[in-house]
Amino acid sequence: MKKIKILLCIALIAALSLAVIACDNNDTPATPDAPAQDVTPPAGSGDFDWRAHAGTTLNIMFNQHPYADTVIERIPEFEALTGITVRHSVTPEENYFDVLTLALNARSGNPDIFMTGAYQIWDYAPAGFIQPLEDFINDPARTFPGYNFADFYEAVVGALRWDLVPGNMVGTGSQWALPMGFELNNLAFNQRIFDEHGLEPPRTTEELLTAAKALHEFNGPGTYGVALRGTRNWATIHPGYMTLFATWGARDFEVVDGRLVSRVDSPEAIAMTDFWVELIRYGGPPQWTTYTWYQAGASFGAGNAAMLFDATCNGYFQNYPAGASAESGNLAWLPGPLPPGATYSRSNIWIWSMAMNAYSQNQDAAWLFMQYFTGPEFQAWAGTRNPDAPRRSVSTSAEYIGVVGASVGYLEALEADLPHATIQFTPQPEFIQTTTMWAATLQDLVAGQYSSTEEAMRNLAERKTALLANVEIPQ
Amino acid sequence: MSTSKKRLGSIVRHGLLGIWAIFALFPLIWMLIMTFKSEADVMTTTFIFTPTLDNYRQVLLQSDYLRFFTDSVITSVGAVLISVLLGVPAAYALARYKFKYKEGLAFQILSFRFAPELLVVLPLFMIYQRMGLHDTYLGLIWVYQLISMPLIIWVVRGYFEDISVEIEHAAQVDGYNWWQVFMKTLVPLIKPGLVSSALLAFIFVWNSFTFPLMLSGFNVSPVTVAAMRFLASHTVQYGQMAVAATISALPAVVFALLIQKHLVRGLSFGAVKG
Amino acid sequence: MTPSQTTAEIAVIPENINTVQFKTRIRPYLIIAPALLVTIGILIPFAMSIFYSLTNFDFRRRDYDFVGLRNWIGMFTSDVFWHALWVTIRYAFFSTGFALLFGLGVAMLLTSIDNAFSRILRVALVFPLMVAPVISTLIWNLMLNNSVGIVERFLNLFGIFGFPWHASHGTAMMTAVMIDVWVNTPFVIVLIMAGLQSLPKSPFESAKIDGGSAWFNFRKLTLPILKPYIYVALLFRLMASLQEFGIIFALTSGGPGNTLMNLSLSAHQRGFRFFEVGISLTYILFLWVVIFILAKQIVKRWQIAQRTATGRMADGSEG
Repeated sequence: MKKIKILLCIALIAALSLAVIACDNNDTPATPDAPAQDVTPPAGSGDFDWRAHAGTTLNIMFNQHPYADTVIERIPEFEALTGITVRHSVTPEENYFDVLTLALNARSGNPDIFMTGAYQIWDYAPAGFIQPLEDFINDPARTFPGYNFADFYEAVVGALRWDLVPGNMVGTGSQWALPMGFELNNLAFNQRIFDEHGLEPPRTTEELLTAAKALHEFNGPGTYGVALRGTRNWATIHPGYMTLFATWGARDFEVVDGRLVSRVDSPEAIAMTDFWVELIRYGGPPQWTTYTWYQAGASFGAGNAAMLFDATCNGYFQNYPAGASAESGNLAWLPGPLPPGATYSRSNIWIWSMAMNAYSQNQDAAWLFMQYFTGPEFQAWAGTRNPDAPRRSVSTSAEYIGVVGASVGYLEALEADLPHATIQFTPQPEFIQTTTMWAATLQDLVAGQYSSTEEAMRNLAERKTALLANVEIPQ
Repeated sequence: MSTSKKRLGSIVRHGLLGIWAIFALFPLIWMLIMTFKSEADVMTTTFIFTPTLDNYRQVLLQSDYLRFFTDSVITSVGAVLISVLLGVPAAYALARYKFKYKEGLAFQILSFRFAPELLVVLPLFMIYQRMGLHDTYLGLIWVYQLISMPLIIWVVRGYFEDISVEIEHAAQVDGYNWWQVFMKTLVPLIKPGLVSSALLAFIFVWNSFTFPLMLSGFNVSPVTVAAMRFLASHTVQYGQMAVAATISALPAVVFALLIQKHLVRGLSFGAVKG
Repeated sequence: MTPSQTTAEIAVIPENINTVQFKTRIRPYLIIAPALLVTIGILIPFAMSIFYSLTNFDFRRRDYDFVGLRNWIGMFTSDVFWHALWVTIRYAFFSTGFALLFGLGVAMLLTSIDNAFSRILRVALVFPLMVAPVISTLIWNLMLNNSVGIVERFLNLFGIFGFPWHASHGTAMMTAVMIDVWVNTPFVIVLIMAGLQSLPKSPFESAKIDGGSAWFNFRKLTLPILKPYIYVALLFRLMASLQEFGIIFALTSGGPGNTLMNLSLSAHQRGFRFFEVGISLTYILFLWVVIFILAKQIVKRWQIAQRTATGRMADGSEG
């Protein structure tokens, strides 16, 4: 009996491993044979040569994201074109920056290229982890002639420039990274639900609050007006909240006598936060403090939330392709809602981008990778998969408009918000810490742990200013 | 009266056990149900939905899951094997010999099991990068020893302590050499403890998350980290994550069924054995 | 180790002693050495951590300075630390306590019933152990969601709507503990069952004839013999729950507010999110010292309990 069991055990392991090996072989194509039809390597002008670094191996770190998926899918073509071998890792977003920080801090040159957001640049660039890119972009021997840097939207590519001075806004200084895709923050709503309840889509904050309150439990318990993020994380502050904060006329910091002083206790900031707390309490998700990007998007797509004030593409991926969610096809977009007196929404922007490790020993090869995957040809192809293309030539192409324009109001809302969009935060070295504090305070405030919004914001402003007391601002 | 009292007691006991069973098993059943749901259905349905095998197809055929699974098998089996090969002799020495610092040493080994992972991971990352162990099978197998070795040593040590020296003695008188004594008389006696502690060590190693997350990624990527990827994309793919988690639980479940008897009896940790 | 030597040595030992003193002093060390060498690697990171905790090592700077005990003093004088310590203690107390209580209860129920139902459950109840805790937490997270979760639908049947679970300050700790108990009780069940199966039959029979109540039987007969097992369970559960990270991180990242910010989460946040590695390591080293001291105490008690239990069992079988 025992022997039979042992035999069975061995047989099982053997079968399992055989199956695994067999499937493994079937799974990975032996040769990257996908032809590069729409990517024509531009004929070498000057000294530029795609094959200049054949034989090099590049290591790339990706965050798990659709932008990364499209890049990974086309790596075989890049390898065939350049003769470079590419190894990559994909890490879930919750842990991505932990792993990346550890890797960059080792200063070993691995990874050569990594995916990053703009806020992280404020930590990584002063630390010397990131290689500035202007010398590559402006060198015709290193950059292929069709790259067309001017094709990027300035709002997007400018947000990846910074002069390393805390308190100075983005837009000037070195180009630290190049965009793979970006997100603005605006209002998505479910047309079906609005029609059924005879409601008009809100264009002002007042209308937003009224609609959100009216839609509280519109379809029984658990359904609600507007999906918003609310976890104890900087990601709670940067989408809808920061967009409305800026639109309301509030600023996070001000430089006073060479020091950063928090302004989250200004009248505008308090009024805006007061509005936000009311919106969450009476029209927001029942378990708001547990809402991340995923809960907010999924609950909107499932028809539990009538609206979503979040990243543009969060709702988009619930709407497209057909069948992506229960409500796909019913979702529509509007520019960010306007508070009294405002004429346009100042959307906060988030940019998933690629940066080069300053310690990389293969910087020229790495630059080949970066220009290929931020170049017009690749991005035109990626634009049929993901919305929010950072290049004008892509977002004005008939193909892109045909795909993305199918989502009602999406392109119109984007067009209205993009001219006024930028990073609304003030760059400073303690960005993550101050926004985490901000999110925790917001959670406490909504739970009624403070007597008033004013008290909460005063307290928060004091703590933020104290935290940054030692940050020197060079003149 | 006594029989009705007994029956009542039995009903209460069954009831309590039933409640616990529902609490303990329902999430697993729910996970299993989720594997057959489309993404839209996960969010909108409970028990009535159109089952689909799409999640299985996606995970098994469209992703690198089987590669990740192989990585898990290699690192976990490797880690447990090394722990058994090095740990059993160590356990024997800790049980049979009297020497200076013995208890201190034994405790030291056990205490490794309780070292906070965050404390180890940061310096270890730098060491691994310098030694070229970062992102290798060997690197993971080595760090997993912190999880599996103490467990195996302490359980097996308890077994050795309970085996009378006379047995060894008698076997030697019969003309067996030390190795034969070890294999023929000692190993069968410690088997329940060895098998069950090895299984437990395997489970803990297999489910380890922080170590593989921080210490590997490009070449080696076990299923725990990989399963998270199905969640962390543009939309929540709970169905695919559930498939990944279910398949990843299978080896442990199969082993547990195979060694069912040893599993419980074996974990006596050097405490009294009947 | 040559066979002849061993034979010779064993021959001279008093026959009723199991632990043997050999003349060779180095041999046991040699046998343990490989196992120790493999695990000793951890001592290097450990030493490095102590060093870094005395510096202002920061991920954003290349160089760091020796700052003496500044991180330690800063930690002990910060409210954040004392709050985190208090959260850590409460979390560990409740999750260990409930896991032991339920583990003991379920194991006793399982052994008190002998039919197909209990035989199936003896294996099935171990299954929660086999799903990675991070993933279990995500599944619970989905189940507890008020909008789409199955638990909400179930509670609705009883007229309970919108129970906040991990979303509110008042119930977040309870929810995290519940998931921790779900994940870890199977381990306790397995341990206690091992103990229950080692119980000798004879003292029970005699006590039952004497008319002892169920509680009397448990306290006087079962508990002393189970004690070593309970200590092992306590050891493993307490040490792990004091440093719990994965479940809380996946559930609420320490929120709402700072409700669930324990020492591990605080250290992770300090080091990996705010880049202040020196301070982060101070937190985690403090935790390690606490764990080390506690573990030593529990192991000591466990070994005493083990000797007592062995003695009792010997009495029992003789009586």
